[in-house]
Amino acid sequence: MIETLIVLVKIVCALVWFLLITLYLTWAERKESALMQDRIGANRANFFGIRIIGLFQPFADAIKMAFKEDFTPSFSRKFLHDLAPFLSFFFTGVTIATIPFGDILKIGGKEIKLQVLDINVGLLFVLAMLSFTIYGVLLSGWASNNRWTLIGGLRGAAQLISYEVALGLSLIGLVMVFPSLDFSAIVDFQGELLFGWLPKWGIFLQPLGFLIFLFATMAESERVPFDLPEGESEIVGFFTEYGGMKWGMYMFTDFMKVLIISCLLTTLFFGGYQVPWLYADGFRFPWGGEWLLPHGIVVLFQVLMFNIKVFFFCWLQILLRWTYPRFRYDQLMDFGWKLLIPLSLINIVATAIIMSIL
Amino acid sequence: MLKQLGYFIEIIRGGIITTRHFSVNMFFHILNLFHIKTKRKGAVTIQYPEVRQKIAERHRSLHRLMKREDGKPRCVVCMLCATVCPSECIFIEAEEDPDPEIQKYPARFIIDISRCCFCGFCVEACPEDALRMDTDEIELADYDRDNLVYNLEKLLK
Amino acid sequence: MMKIYIDDREVHVEKGMTVFKAAENAGIEIPHLCYHPAFPPEGTCRMCLVEIEGLPKLELACSTQVKDGMKVHTKSEKVVEARKGVLEFLLAEHPMDCPICDQAGDCKLQDYYEEYGLFENNFSESKERREKKIRLGKHLIHDNERCVLCRRCVRFLREVVGTGEMGVFERGIATEVNILDGMPIDNNYSGNLAQLCPVGAITDTDFRFQTRSWFLEKGEAICPLCSRGCNIFIEHHRGFSRFDLPKRVYRISARENAEINSYWICDIGRYGYYSLDENRAEKIIANNNISIKNYEAVLAFFTEKIKRLLYKKKTSRITLLLNTFLTNEELFLLKKIFQDDLGIKNIFFIDPPAGESDAILLTSDRTPNKKGAEELGFEITPFELGNLADETEVLIIFGNYIAEIFSLSDIQAYFDRIKDTFLFTPHRSELDSKVGIMFPTAMTPEKGGSLTNVDGKIQKFSPVLEAPGDGKAEWKILAELGTKLDVNFKYYKKFLSPEEIFRQMQKEIPFFEK
Repeated sequence: MIETLIVLVKIVCALVWFLLITLYLTWAERKESALMQDRIGANRANFFGIRIIGLFQPFADAIKMAFKEDFTPSFSRKFLHDLAPFLSFFFTGVTIATIPFGDILKIGGKEIKLQVLDINVGLLFVLAMLSFTIYGVLLSGWASNNRWTLIGGLRGAAQLISYEVALGLSLIGLVMVFPSLDFSAIVDFQGELLFGWLPKWGIFLQPLGFLIFLFATMAESERVPFDLPEGESEIVGFFTEYGGMKWGMYMFTDFMKVLIISCLLTTLFFGGYQVPWLYADGFRFPWGGEWLLPHGIVVLFQVLMFNIKVFFFCWLQILLRWTYPRFRYDQLMDFGWKLLIPLSLINIVATAIIMSIL
Repeated sequence: MLKQLGYFIEIIRGGIITTRHFSVNMFFHILNLFHIKTKRKGAVTIQYPEVRQKIAERHRSLHRLMKREDGKPRCVVCMLCATVCPSECIFIEAEEDPDPEIQKYPARFIIDISRCCFCGFCVEACPEDALRMDTDEIELADYDRDNLVYNLEKLLK
Repeated sequence: MMKIYIDDREVHVEKGMTVFKAAENAGIEIPHLCYHPAFPPEGTCRMCLVEIEGLPKLELACSTQVKDGMKVHTKSEKVVEARKGVLEFLLAEHPMDCPICDQAGDCKLQDYYEEYGLFENNFSESKERREKKIRLGKHLIHDNERCVLCRRCVRFLREVVGTGEMGVFERGIATEVNILDGMPIDNNYSGNLAQLCPVGAITDTDFRFQTRSWFLEKGEAICPLCSRGCNIFIEHHRGFSRFDLPKRVYRISARENAEINSYWICDIGRYGYYSLDENRAEKIIANNNISIKNYEAVLAFFTEKIKRLLYKKKTSRITLLLNTFLTNEELFLLKKIFQDDLGIKNIFFIDPPAGESDAILLTSDRTPNKKGAEELGFEITPFELGNLADETEVLIIFGNYIAEIFSLSDIQAYFDRIKDTFLFTPHRSELDSKVGIMFPTAMTPEKGGSLTNVDGKIQKFSPVLEAPGDGKAEWKILAELGTKLDVNFKYYKKFLSPEEIFRQMQKEIPFFEK
């Protein structure tokens, strides 16, 4: 009974965290882009006259989208048309289950792992679920029954599949270094030290793998340098025939992907919830200091660290999205097939050689 | 492909520029948020609806019709404004005034603001100084097209 | 023939001609206010001063007769100076209320003021105040302040109309033009005074404050309200793209034609333009209230009705009611189609009742083209309801004057016996509900063609306005009917404009050859 309750609480906490952060990413993106471009950004939305630098904006947007007409073009395939955004939304959202937010929390003799779903193939699960989102793209393009959206959907599918390869290959090196597919195990490995002082994070062991993974995931999220499937203002994308909340779900999925990619980057390459030199009973610095902390504070530090890392990567992704212009389609394909994939292969070989030497 | 790699330096440079803008603005915005006065203001423009810039004296805003001392419109329906109007948005209909000194007064005076191009020719043309564009009203958007057709009562206000 | 020199140009003139006339013939404009070609020179305004070599003072061009070898300067420095002086005195007492003056835009005084650039007033005294709104008659209002005492109005009433209601009273600064006590101007030519006045002193109540003259476009037309056929300008508003105006035509003014109406028109013609905008038929209406957009289909239906009787050789069952508002071309087509091709004999004319005539222009016949109809070979048989043959199946009516002459119940009683009635009319009336199909047509200024006036003078005109709604000129309907009837397809095929019909008319009827 209490086990079930704990699991339920974990699910609720993870979901609320995930959705809330995603919601505020829409606002953060506007604000950050505004600051980058010397503007002010969304600050008008208010709640009975109270407006805290526009923090109510996401709710205003959500209400607006929810009350817009749920329009389905007469020529579309209605069922598939409705299904497509849900597929994208669901398969992206479900990935959060495997991300560890912190180490084991001990309350009253119970050991609670701060991770919703601790499966030993977490990495594969996430990759599989992200692959499923392609169906959302492809289906929406096809079910809209509009030749331009179909082309947009196919373009999207081609891009996602291309980068899926690089994405998978870039992680092989990592799996070789941390011999596990379980996220919590990978994070545990990263808690160790290299040369006695450097945290054994993925970024230090797999710098090339990190770069490839970063680009490949950004391409997966279909945001600006790689936003050819949608091309908000110029090219007709796969969700042209969507409006209201269904369109909103596609947009939401976009931001969910940003967040999940940040989580993955944190977990795989930046030590997850690991704070450098923080152990279960407190800090033990390599130059010989000690700062012992109670268990609750340690877990709080871990969760905080995880969040800080995730926010940093969200910020980075938004920064990149508002800095660079879009690729041309042939450049996009060249970049994926001719650069990222060979590089990731080189990365695997190099990792193997170094590992066999050591 | 190698040629494109040369751009990586520029890509990094671009990232640095945007990051600089972001951090500078963020810093000053946060200071301003807590009402800490700084010499530099960050990229803050005027917070428009609350804070307004002073409109220049010669700015042409919404029209108004001037009144005589007794409250009647000063307009004598010479229709020079309607004649000179390049967008043909002024329409006037005259009526005979019982006072032979005034003779003509506008029974209908319509300016279709949705068509007006705010050139100010009508004001220039007016021989009686009956029409001015100095109300400083610049927010003329409306939800209904018909509300943008200003009639005599609205213009005399 | 003599030779004189105006502004160093050689001009050939006849003996007895005035310098003004000579200059006008040579295309040299001399400013003037009181001079009017219809009257003998008056010389009150003194604007037409010219310098004549050999004479010590400046002379009035309007009253000086030419002499052989005379050397006239109309634009020399001396002349311009003198004119400026004259103009300054004229403007000294002029209220300069051009913004509210109806004459602005047509005003000669305004033009000269602009031309000679007298923008500064040198008089420090205030201007004399006078009565600004004197009712002269039914159509006229006089503003004494604006008057420049040219006496055109006084002369017109004395010399042309002969009633002489106006005169010049008082002397010096108090001089004013006014009507004699208890003699309002109510003759039939009073409207000419407003047109005659060179400034805005006499204005037309009908046009007063309606619009400004520069919005109006002048279209040359023929007055259709009596058989005189006076030449007129139809002054219609050029329109605003955004706003609908209450009417299209704002006034009618006389157009000079020495042979017919000189410089005048009567008040019936001048104020008779309301019918152009009021109560116009704009849609084809079938069976009382169904409006039809498809003109082709209705015309086909009309043609079919006639054709059926034609094939049965029972065209005698068709009765035609015409009027003489129709142009020569239309009457010609009617004659060709119905009289010659179909052999219909039941052709009657319904015209508005005759009115009073006067000795100047107005004739008793209130339609423009009776002479033309006669010359075309129609017998003008006035229509009586009893004339309607019992066997009549198709009745074709042009114009709705039948409703003015006979009572509607009588018409109804007769029309009930007839299977199909077709009405071609420019106006809505109660007759619409009595007929099968009502076609909207164009009024005279809305179509091209020619009219024959009471003296047999043929005057051509082209359309000034467009017919409202689906209205079509009758000649167009008739030419299409002619081609569709298939009796003489090739003959009617070529009638694409009134000119071509007129050319054919000239070939067939000797009267129109001249």
